[in-house]
Amino acid sequence: MANLRKAAWLFGAAIVLGAFAPGAAFGEDQKLYQVQEGNKVDNATLEGWRTWRALACERCHGNQQQGLVGPSLIEALKRLSRDEFKTAVLKGRPEKGMPNFDGSKMVTENIDGLYAYLKGRADGAIKPGHVYPMK
Amino acid sequence: MTINRKYACGALLGLAFVPAPALAADDSAEQGPNPKNWAMQAGNAQNHRYSSLKQINTTNVKNLRVSWMFSTGVLRGHEGGPLVIGDTLYVHSPFPNKVFAIRLADQSIIWKYEPKQDPSVIPVMCCDTVNRGLAYADGKIYLQQADTTLVALDAKTGKVLWSVKNGDPKKGETNTNAPHIFKNKVITGISGGEFGVRGYVTAYDKDTGRQLWRAYSTGPDQEMLLDPQKTMTWTDGKMAPVGKDSSLSTWQGDQWKIGGGTTWGWYSYDPKLNLIYYGSGNPSTWNPAQRPGDNRWSMTIFARDVDTGQAKWVYQMTPHDEWDFDGVNEMILADGVNVKGKPRNVVVHFDRNGFGYTLDRATGELLVAEKYDPTVNWATHVDMKSGRPQVVAKYSTQANGADVDTKGVCPAALGSKDQQPAAYNPANKLFYVPTNHVCMNYEPFKVEYTAGQPYVGATLSMFPAPGSHGGMGNFIVWDAGSGKIVKSKAEKFSVWSGALVTAGGIACYGTLEGYVKCVDANDISKELFKFKTPSGIIGNVNTWEYNGKQYIGVLSGIGGWAGIGLAAGLEKDTDGLGAVGGYKELSKYTELGGVLTVFSLP
Repeated sequence: MANLRKAAWLFGAAIVLGAFAPGAAFGEDQKLYQVQEGNKVDNATLEGWRTWRALACERCHGNQQQGLVGPSLIEALKRLSRDEFKTAVLKGRPEKGMPNFDGSKMVTENIDGLYAYLKGRADGAIKPGHVYPMK
Repeated sequence: MTINRKYACGALLGLAFVPAPALAADDSAEQGPNPKNWAMQAGNAQNHRYSSLKQINTTNVKNLRVSWMFSTGVLRGHEGGPLVIGDTLYVHSPFPNKVFAIRLADQSIIWKYEPKQDPSVIPVMCCDTVNRGLAYADGKIYLQQADTTLVALDAKTGKVLWSVKNGDPKKGETNTNAPHIFKNKVITGISGGEFGVRGYVTAYDKDTGRQLWRAYSTGPDQEMLLDPQKTMTWTDGKMAPVGKDSSLSTWQGDQWKIGGGTTWGWYSYDPKLNLIYYGSGNPSTWNPAQRPGDNRWSMTIFARDVDTGQAKWVYQMTPHDEWDFDGVNEMILADGVNVKGKPRNVVVHFDRNGFGYTLDRATGELLVAEKYDPTVNWATHVDMKSGRPQVVAKYSTQANGADVDTKGVCPAALGSKDQQPAAYNPANKLFYVPTNHVCMNYEPFKVEYTAGQPYVGATLSMFPAPGSHGGMGNFIVWDAGSGKIVKSKAEKFSVWSGALVTAGGIACYGTLEGYVKCVDANDISKELFKFKTPSGIIGNVNTWEYNGKQYIGVLSGIGGWAGIGLAAGLEKDTDGLGAVGGYKELSKYTELGGVLTVFSLP
């Protein structure tokens, strides 16, 4: 059931993402998020940050994604593919202390936005801390 | 998994040679502990963390040297401390919650116990997998595992005698607390206030593991074991019955079902009154706007009948918490404390909210509530008539609202003190308190509840108390009768180690850098002994006597919220790495790794 639901959300998220993708021929990653002045982002990325915040990810990964008990996501997002990222978040890595978040509606709904937000952080395009809607 | 070694038999023989006074049967709440043993986490049931041993004293403490060391083989935060009964020392580790029985004669391992636990419990304990230690009674060692399994082990062999499941990690319920043995019962709590767990306390038969009673912190009267007429609370300057639905009426709808009030602290017991004392934690979520009302009985001191669990009295310290000021810290029972010229038998509690409380422990009357860190600013004072803190609007995260960063609240969420227990010296009736000196910015936001998922709802950043000595901690001496700081000794980092005070006139504690320090109990500014252990200390300092010699032992092993809290010490985006950066600073001094270090005189 969780898988079905996940698939449905991913599908929904993909459509949303598509709607935000700029028309110009940018690479896949550049379409991922839009950012102004380092802390104003598109809606999907904003929801990704809200998900990061609501699920208290900073308790393990640090309030600037720099890593605490859990690894630095600034580093990890430079390595992980989008699929690897989704698997890690949704299925967890229980032996390492990473919970599975496939039981969280907010995560399954916003996993692409979460990926976009963290990728933006790893790329250095999004500043640490609070982000806001784009104008 | 239990490793039964052949020395188990030898241990039996060894025990037979121990002179009668060293036998553990002497250690009971009723008769008081045998000072040669350290058979309870706090040394006695009154939570004193005091020892009448005086071989090590103010004159010779400088000569202490390491007698032996023992690695638990586990990283992560090591809270709690070793127990010593006769010729055997028992020590625990964080997850996976190993237990070692060590023969003091040659420091060999008599037996080792390592439970099999589902690793999925680790993330639910996010972010550290601490355990505050073992309990002992009548030949049994009790371990409260992270996955909530409470287990009784044969102290001689490590064999499992019984085990019982105390909670459900799938709902976010875990355990970090030490079990407490009072009378014929094992009393234990539950953790998970950040997962919307509804807190409770449970009593099990210490010989069979049969559940005797369970009392919730929130909800209907009968589930809280609270009598509307007989359970009393401080009301308009006197004690009065709590009345019907005293919890339900202070929550909106069903919020109390995920309302927190967890119970992971250090309990105490008064055998004459037959009462146990403990505190309940924060209401869930950390976003106060989502839970209008006083949220009773979170943040509350409970006095319960040990046999029935019925609440004799309750006192809520922080109604409608807006800062995560858990009320779980230790309850210390002291006799004959001078309050306004009258000797009173009291319970003393240093709350996360920065106030030191003194209450009559028989009746629950509020006697003293004063700040034990001068930087506490979220409330001006506690109104002694209503018993309520007078909240400063500027620091009210409720008044400022969701998605607003309330800045400069002192103390930070980890409190002017967290779980690190204070010590009480019955000789001078003073308290030796390890404290935090940290403030915070706190931004609440709306969260949805999903069972087993974090239910926090606030973003925090923490930093050393501004306008003070720049450090993140103090070791203080407190007069609970007058509510005054007698002396304060600044520390670079939070003092996250349980203190010890002895008849030898010394007070000892550990630091996050990894030092064990012993100071003159009459003048704590005099540092008499200092030794760098292999890792930062969040464990408690204990003492015992073996073979005519006094020993002092402490677990080091940095971690716990101290590590996490300091890690969060970086200010937000704009300050970035230019901020004080407590954790980065700490990493200059220490690394992970659990080691027990035992000291004695040459």
